[in-house]
Amino acid sequence: MKDIENRLKQEAKRLLESGEAEVVLAYGRGYDEKHPMPYAAKAVSDVDNIVFDEYCTFNMTRYLTEYPLGTKIAIAVKSCDSRTLIVLMQEEKVKREDIVILGIPYRDMIDSKTGKAIDNSTACNLPNPVLYDILLGDEVTERDDGSPYDVLKELEEMELDVRWEFWSKEFSKCIRCYACRKACPMCYCDPCFIDQSQPRWADKSPSLESNLMFHLTRFYHLAGRCIDCGECSRACPVDIPLHLFHKKVSKECEEMFDQVSGMSLDDKQVMVDFKMEDSDEILL
Amino acid sequence: MLKKIGLEKLNEFVSALIEKGTLFAPVKGDAGVDFQEIKNAGDVTLDFYNTLQSPKCVFFPQTDDMVRYRLKKETTDIEEISLDFEPRIAFGIRPCDVKSFEIMDKLFTRGGIVDPYWESRRKNTTIMGYAFDAVDPADFYGAFGIHAADTTGSDVFMVKGEKNLLLKAITEKGEKLLSSVDTLEDALEEDRKYFEERLKKGAELETRTLSLEGVAGKLRDMFGSPYWEKVAAPCLNCGVCTFVCPTCHCFDIQDETLFGEGTRRKIWDSCMFTDFTLEASGHNPRTQKSQRLRQRVNHKFSYYVTNFEVTSCVGCGRCTRSCPVNIDILTVVEEAVESV
Repeated sequence: MKDIENRLKQEAKRLLESGEAEVVLAYGRGYDEKHPMPYAAKAVSDVDNIVFDEYCTFNMTRYLTEYPLGTKIAIAVKSCDSRTLIVLMQEEKVKREDIVILGIPYRDMIDSKTGKAIDNSTACNLPNPVLYDILLGDEVTERDDGSPYDVLKELEEMELDVRWEFWSKEFSKCIRCYACRKACPMCYCDPCFIDQSQPRWADKSPSLESNLMFHLTRFYHLAGRCIDCGECSRACPVDIPLHLFHKKVSKECEEMFDQVSGMSLDDKQVMVDFKMEDSDEILL
Repeated sequence: MLKKIGLEKLNEFVSALIEKGTLFAPVKGDAGVDFQEIKNAGDVTLDFYNTLQSPKCVFFPQTDDMVRYRLKKETTDIEEISLDFEPRIAFGIRPCDVKSFEIMDKLFTRGGIVDPYWESRRKNTTIMGYAFDAVDPADFYGAFGIHAADTTGSDVFMVKGEKNLLLKAITEKGEKLLSSVDTLEDALEEDRKYFEERLKKGAELETRTLSLEGVAGKLRDMFGSPYWEKVAAPCLNCGVCTFVCPTCHCFDIQDETLFGEGTRRKIWDSCMFTDFTLEASGHNPRTQKSQRLRQRVNHKFSYYVTNFEVTSCVGCGRCTRSCPVNIDILTVVEEAVESV
């Protein structure tokens, strides 16, 4: 892991020095060792502040849309994060030629809030980045951890009313801080529908109804786009398992349209593409 | 007056408190412990470090109904919501959070306009403070002269021992409450010793700290500094920090109507949100996240000091612990002051 940090620093230095990148999006020191922070290195002198350890869980692609199109950016990505890049490129939010992708072949990240390992029950957990220019280490070998959708089994087996009860309880907890939306790299709408006042799409006060209006709209808006990085659930201060809903929608998209989001730049997203052989289940 | 109750009899005691008024106490939830209105005595827990959200909800709930109305063709029927709040008890409040009430009093009752919602609940509430026995690395209440077993501001102060919960009446209000509950026993000499020892130990527990001298002025002077852009770079601009904060008090007033019937409500708002300062004209004076982060820090450590002569922060560490990207307000202030 220290090797990855060193390589990351080396590459950041080289890219900033040569002018290939105006900014390097990586990870920096936080208030203690267990709490690193997202970090944007803009000068060679910033490079020393870069760190990488198992707590650097942030999906740095979330910051890409803050920069004007055309900014030359180098970005550190882990497996799921690289899939976000593909989606953002498909959506023309960033251009391939503007981005230097520094791939991190590491998967045993730890959620600093829970102290638990991030695995395929909370994220996509692919071993290596799908797309990169420079890989900062050797590829991680595959291992059979099962499918990222295995975690859905329990929910899928619930009776409808029990499942409704489960989600009602979870969404009643929401305090509408919008951390899920703000941590999500795909949530870049400006303004977000929930912030609009004319018309106002949902009440501002948290209630099951208005919370559902917000979350369900967000879930649908991420259909075929979510790449299962799990940032929404990790950001949630009241531990709503948002990733489970996203996983379910992703699973259905895969089953209906035979495509996994963010795996290839050549794909067209399922919700903006039409093929004669597409499933019509969605219309029922 | 020092009383005690065996920890195994906590339920009995809580039931007795429920009889005395609406009880707000810590309850364990999925993500951590939080204050809730208690219906079942068994829900209350004393095993927690500090709650996820602050106890400001006792006086200033996230949604506070003001007026109910029914829109008719030409007129509107309105029903004002009564402010005659029944007596309340806030149970298990950590010393730093008790201090936050005093800071918020300044704004809600001494800022020129009295907020009747805050004031009437505050007047009717008995505060039962609860000593910390450890220090979380994110906390820095020591910077504000608060210590882990500080009894200031509490009506009753509680210390949890191995077998008993010790309760000391600090004010008349507290004395009245304790003497009216017959499930409590009188404390013995050894309990008294233990209680005093815990207060002494509490004063010795060290949190992180920060020198507040000159901070308000320095922050005012560096309003235009590029520092803010740098420090706000990781900020997501979600509202977690403001919602969990015991002293963040900004609210919006909204009419929430369905089929002609509705309620006018106070609802927590957050200076982290883009629509917080959005004006009717469409103009927004704070479009950058660096401006919004600066507002949060300056409001607490500079503007509030100018207006009320006290920093609007108690160092409870909640914003730091809850921040999805680990922004730490103590570090932000420290580095800001160093950058001048």
